[in-house]
Amino acid sequence: MSTTGLRRGGLTLTLLGLAGLTGLYWMSFFWVSTEINQGVVQRIFYVHVPAAWTSFLAFGIAALLSGVYLWLRDPRLDRAASCAAEGGLVFATIMLTTGPLWGKIAWGTYWTWEPRLTLTLLLWFIFLGYFMVRNSTEDPEKGKRFAAVVAIVGALDIPFIHLSVGWFRSLHPQPVVIKPEGPTLPGDMLATLLTGFAVFTVLFFGLFLFRYALEGLRAEVDVRARRSTA
Amino acid sequence: MPLADAAPSPVASLPVLEARRLTREYGPVVAVRDVDVSLEGGEFLVIFGPNGAGKSSLLGMLGGAMRPTSGQVLIRGRPISFSDGAWRRRVGILSHQGFLYARLTAEENLRFYGRLFGLDDLDDRIAQRLARVGLTERAGVQTRHLSHGMRQRLSLARALLHDPEVVLLDEPYTGLDPSASGVLREVLAELRDGDRTVVMVTHNLREGLDSATRVAIQVAGRFAWQGSRGDVHDQSFERHYHAVVEGRA
Amino acid sequence: MTTYLGQLRAIVWKDLLVELRSRERLTAMGAFAVLAGVLFAFSIDTTTTRPQDVAAGLIWMTLVFGGLLGVGRTFHLEAQDAAFQGILTSPAPKDVVFLGKTLANFALLYVISLLVLFVFALFFGLELGPNVGWVVFVLGLGSLGFVALGTLFAAVSAGTTMGETLLPILIFPLLVPMVIYGVGATGRLIAGRPFSEIEGNVRMLGAFAVAALAVGAVLFRYVVED
Repeated sequence: MSTTGLRRGGLTLTLLGLAGLTGLYWMSFFWVSTEINQGVVQRIFYVHVPAAWTSFLAFGIAALLSGVYLWLRDPRLDRAASCAAEGGLVFATIMLTTGPLWGKIAWGTYWTWEPRLTLTLLLWFIFLGYFMVRNSTEDPEKGKRFAAVVAIVGALDIPFIHLSVGWFRSLHPQPVVIKPEGPTLPGDMLATLLTGFAVFTVLFFGLFLFRYALEGLRAEVDVRARRSTA
Repeated sequence: MPLADAAPSPVASLPVLEARRLTREYGPVVAVRDVDVSLEGGEFLVIFGPNGAGKSSLLGMLGGAMRPTSGQVLIRGRPISFSDGAWRRRVGILSHQGFLYARLTAEENLRFYGRLFGLDDLDDRIAQRLARVGLTERAGVQTRHLSHGMRQRLSLARALLHDPEVVLLDEPYTGLDPSASGVLREVLAELRDGDRTVVMVTHNLREGLDSATRVAIQVAGRFAWQGSRGDVHDQSFERHYHAVVEGRA
Repeated sequence: MTTYLGQLRAIVWKDLLVELRSRERLTAMGAFAVLAGVLFAFSIDTTTTRPQDVAAGLIWMTLVFGGLLGVGRTFHLEAQDAAFQGILTSPAPKDVVFLGKTLANFALLYVISLLVLFVFALFFGLELGPNVGWVVFVLGLGSLGFVALGTLFAAVSAGTTMGETLLPILIFPLLVPMVIYGVGATGRLIAGRPFSEIEGNVRMLGAFAVAALAVGAVLFRYVVED
């Protein structure tokens, strides 16, 4: 796909995503009903949970692309993987900042070892390791391979992490009952949440395509620069 | 009716060691540029060239130590594979790195590699090889206590332990005292007479020409000059070499 | 198959022999184990905390930090001898090389883990009784997964400009399951609970170890290729 096509696609998706985001904010602030136990602060849920979901999706994509990259060695696969990882890092950061804010106001503590929060924290560091390794080799090709390995091992560890943290939490009495959505999820809340998922996913892919197109241009510049000096 | 003029057996006509358009880049630096090599059994190619010409990188690719950026290496017509290492039994490498473990004795080093290469009758082989390079009395000495010349001899023994048909030597004469050079010269003569295919990189014009059946001069990644030993006149070679390196020939 | 096993044994034998002659890593890890035990013992306020209650966690932390000391050096030691390429250009498949190095590292770490257990039992007043065999087993099982990941990422970090300092960053998030299940099991065993209570943990540790070994064996070749 040509760079212009990618950028146009990216732009379309991003604008759609931003429009959807505006709609989502409207829904979260004005439309959806207030949750009984936590009050108004619970509305952050509609940003917090979709951000988590998006970062997991991004990581899964990055790990998958990394696996195929090691197999086929097409540099575009590595570029795409790193763009996905970057997006994932951003959304994970959103999740990790909204979570403690919410937690402090709603339940009095900044941090609990809630499974999703914990997993995202660890994922954030795996992402960090991905980029540190990618950028700290003398031979850039080596860095790409190393990063791919980090992504793959990280992805394979996720089930273990999920199970172990779940078990850990089941042993320890929690300060509050953490069921962020309340006992059941009424219709309007569900609708807002699903809208959140859709909007964040669209936004992610929009930004991803933009970023990927940018990296493609950068690679093209490198190739041309080398050709002119050869 | 048997085919009267069937084509000669394909295996017999294939070169033992072949490189096709071999290129190696390290980021923006092009270390080896489009090198072609074709060697039959018994040929001894010596590559001369200044530092930084890419000789070690070329040898590294021929030995499967590093992947080419583009191009292929073939042994008896089959491209070398990085996933299946069986072909490595046929290649012996003497690297300037030595490949010896400082805290293992000479004998233990050979035993280790012997096992990696899956060799039988290791005791005999090790004894023979050590004797051939004159290190029998030092078999039980840790390599960190051996002189540079002795370590080089041991590396040579290691390279030949598994009787490879292709031998790659990277600057074997560097830093050797006269007795060690003598041993090396003898072993190289044996290799040449024994129908093995050898590629040697060296700075030493005299010693190189002594062993060579083919000669190449590598400059800035390319083979700037190639020819058979017969094309080279001993007396004028040094001048010719400098001319090629400086781009005058 | 016999060549495979022969190659594996050769690599394990070589690594252990070199280590036995230099004792570099054993000394570092061993000294760390004892000194960490001392520091940790002093770090506990015995007026508010029973040492026995926190011993399990600290044992595993000591193992992890001490283990990183040893495992992290794996490829730097190879670089010192500049011989690793000799192994890479041999017919030995890369997964055999990985498993050989991992097993050698495991042997070293296992010895150290017994030392750690001994030191903590001494300093923290642990009465292991009949459960000591299970504790030793659990430590071993956890170490196996740890060493597999550690060896893989030691190769990665050795190839970067940051070197060993990168290793904890890469590996700590991945070790969470091992720590959770390992400490959970060890703590219960130290408290005298029966093995049946920790069976699930042991299964997970086993699965983790197998997965780490398998993944390492497959991915190692991409790390060491040039």
